Amino acid sequence: MLRLEGIRFAYAPEALPYRFDMVAQPGEISAVMGASGAGKSTLLDLIAGFLLPQAGSMTLDGVDLLPLQPEDRPVSLLFQSNTLFEHLSAENNVALGLPRPTRRKDAGPLIAAALAEVGLAGIGKQRAATLSGGQKQRVALARTLLRNKPVLLLDEPFSALDDETRVAARDLVRNLTRAHDWTTILVSHHTEDVQALATCRYRIAAGVLLPEGNTAA
Amino acid sequence: MPTPWPRSNSQPKVLPPRPLRLLGGAVIAMAVALLVVLVLWSIASAAYGQPETAAPLPDVAHLLRMSAIQAALSTVLSLLVGTALAWSLNRLRFAGRNLVIALFASAIVTPGLIVAFGLLTVWGRSGWINAIANVLFHTSIDTPIFGLGGILAAHVILDAAFAARILLARLDAIPSTRLKTGQGLALTPAKRFATIDWPALRGTMPGLAAIIFLLAFTSFPIVLLLGGGPANQTLEVAIYSAVRLDFNLHGAVILALAQIGFCSIIILAASAFAPIPSTLGPSAGQRWADRGFAKAVQWTVLLACIIGFALPLLAVLAGGFSSNLPALFARPSFPSALATSLAIGTLSALLTLVLALGLGSARAATLRPLARIGLAAPAYAYLAVPAVVLALGFFLLVRTMGIEPATAGPAVVILGNALLSLPFAIATLGPPLEAVASGQGKLIRSLGLSGWQQFVRVEWPLLGREIGVVLALAFCFSLGDLGVISFFGTQDFSTLPLLLVRALGAYRTDDAAIVAAVMLVITVAAFTALPQFFARWSDAQA
Ligand SMILES: Nc1ncnc2c1ncn2[C@@H]1O[C@H](COP(=O)(O)OP(=O)(O)O)[C@@H](O)[C@H]1O
Ligand SMILES: [Mg+2]
Repeated sequence: MLRLEGIRFAYAPEALPYRFDMVAQPGEISAVMGASGAGKSTLLDLIAGFLLPQAGSMTLDGVDLLPLQPEDRPVSLLFQSNTLFEHLSAENNVALGLPRPTRRKDAGPLIAAALAEVGLAGIGKQRAATLSGGQKQRVALARTLLRNKPVLLLDEPFSALDDETRVAARDLVRNLTRAHDWTTILVSHHTEDVQALATCRYRIAAGVLLPEGNTAA
Repeated sequence: MPTPWPRSNSQPKVLPPRPLRLLGGAVIAMAVALLVVLVLWSIASAAYGQPETAAPLPDVAHLLRMSAIQAALSTVLSLLVGTALAWSLNRLRFAGRNLVIALFASAIVTPGLIVAFGLLTVWGRSGWINAIANVLFHTSIDTPIFGLGGILAAHVILDAAFAARILLARLDAIPSTRLKTGQGLALTPAKRFATIDWPALRGTMPGLAAIIFLLAFTSFPIVLLLGGGPANQTLEVAIYSAVRLDFNLHGAVILALAQIGFCSIIILAASAFAPIPSTLGPSAGQRWADRGFAKAVQWTVLLACIIGFALPLLAVLAGGFSSNLPALFARPSFPSALATSLAIGTLSALLTLVLALGLGSARAATLRPLARIGLAAPAYAYLAVPAVVLALGFFLLVRTMGIEPATAGPAVVILGNALLSLPFAIATLGPPLEAVASGQGKLIRSLGLSGWQQFVRVEWPLLGREIGVVLALAFCFSLGDLGVISFFGTQDFSTLPLLLVRALGAYRTDDAAIVAAVMLVITVAAFTALPQFFARWSDAQA
């Protein structure tokens, strides 16, 4: 269980600080909505460790996350764009998620399996730059599979996708979250995505993160 | 209870922590700084020492004035010709355009020695022009190539081509919307230049002028070959003659101090201007061509520039390959100088790359202003210490340490040339390394990549071309070096440029022609092959 309590953060001393309180369960997708500029990405940066709060606590299953550097946090992060190294092949992008050390001969099958799980078997050699938006997000998810961190943060992952790809990508995120028992936090301002996926909804308004009427999916 | 504001927390931690890179960069920066300090200290302490001979002090003021006039003329002419050439290349589309642009781009690595020798081959006393005049008019013309005219010609050939390549990139970068607006207004070619082109070029001019001025002011081989006597010396040549010809070390040291002081002023002034990019992609050109008279002018400028630039180089090649190559190879001095030159070029290029990568990647790993200055400034200090001054400093340093200059020779030539290439190498590698850190740092960090993975997976595949460019620049610079080697060369330790100058001094023009041609071929091969080779090699692993 990921728990944020009394998190306060402001970009500048004179600004009114953001106030974030939330609880997210494993195997579930919690959605965070809010207008553009509301502070959604700020929230994810705080969880991922790119920003440090001025006050509050953040724990995963009782373990304090705040002392951990970004690279040590039990978190995978999918940005809206720029989520792959465009110059690398799909499989070399996925390979960056392998635990270290992984022996060279073990790497190939692991990468192939991860690509197959996101429905992209056989595209491993293709350059990331030549992939479609939906394929890129899947490659990034395959990398997440190998990293196998308990928390998955998604920052508007579907906003660049067309309707059909978007439905498929949604299903993939839902299935992976369940299958791997991830605690997934989905940031989106697209109500349809949220309705389709979220078991638990939050909204940032005026810098404060508040729960919305929760539904059971 | 209000929590105290932790200042650093609001700064996103997007740069991956790289303690090893910072440590490596700091060690390199300190070593590079220590060397420049030692060099300056050697020169300064020698200046305070007793003169060893009763030789008269050189007329520093006169030398400074003459060098400054020469450099100013070189700068103005190079910028004028360079602008005209860039303007023409930007407008004209023709088969082989990329090749022509590559030809002019190669000016940055073409050794001044080769251009000077090529000008001699065309314009010298027994050059092509005089041969034609003899046949046609049974008279020989007074050769215009010695003295200020020759120096200016050689400088303009090299520096106008260099300027044109930089300025062309500025013209290519003009947004197409602005061009469409201009085209819609049916601007005349002159109005078009004034309202669209000139504003795009203006910002680059001061920085470019400062670089060209510095190059001309510190010019050594060109002035040595074409100067034609003390009237047209630069400080570099005066230092060289003071040490090697007059054995007046004290005078040389005084001149060196003047040189360092003047160069520092120019560099400080230049640092206030917009920086000059050191690697450029292919030139796209514009679809909006000028017509009529303007077009005729552009073709004339282009043809004149191609002839002016290529003729001396072709003369070098023609002269070299019509001479007796096997005979020269049979003499041991040539193969050994060739091997020495290749070895020194390779080692000094590798050293340059290691130093530049170390400094550049450390610099990209930190946002602290002081650390960033500390990592870059020592390398840029070498801009103020041109080849002959650096060589003099090492010469004095080695002597103080009780080492025979001949023993230290190879190491000093490799190190000295690497240090002289370092500012260019950092200017080439720094920006793309910074771009990786700022553009991909967050992704790198969120994946927890190690510094080694960052290099192998991100930097090496993205920077292959730049790495090749740095190796090519450093290799060509040290291959063409005359300044450092002229202090440390001996009968047994000689490079191609030294061999060329010795052959010229002994009136063995045929030998000199072969050496020049071989140098030119190696330079062009390295400059075209290395960047492409490294771009492909690194890309194949992506
Ligand atoms: N590094 C920063 N420094 C100062 N202000 C920032 C910084 N990053 C984001 N902001 C501001 O914080 C607010 C929230 O940004 P963000 O979290 O990216 O919003 P969202 O993701 O909801 O669109 C915006 O007003 C943005 O301008
Ligand atoms: Mg956002």
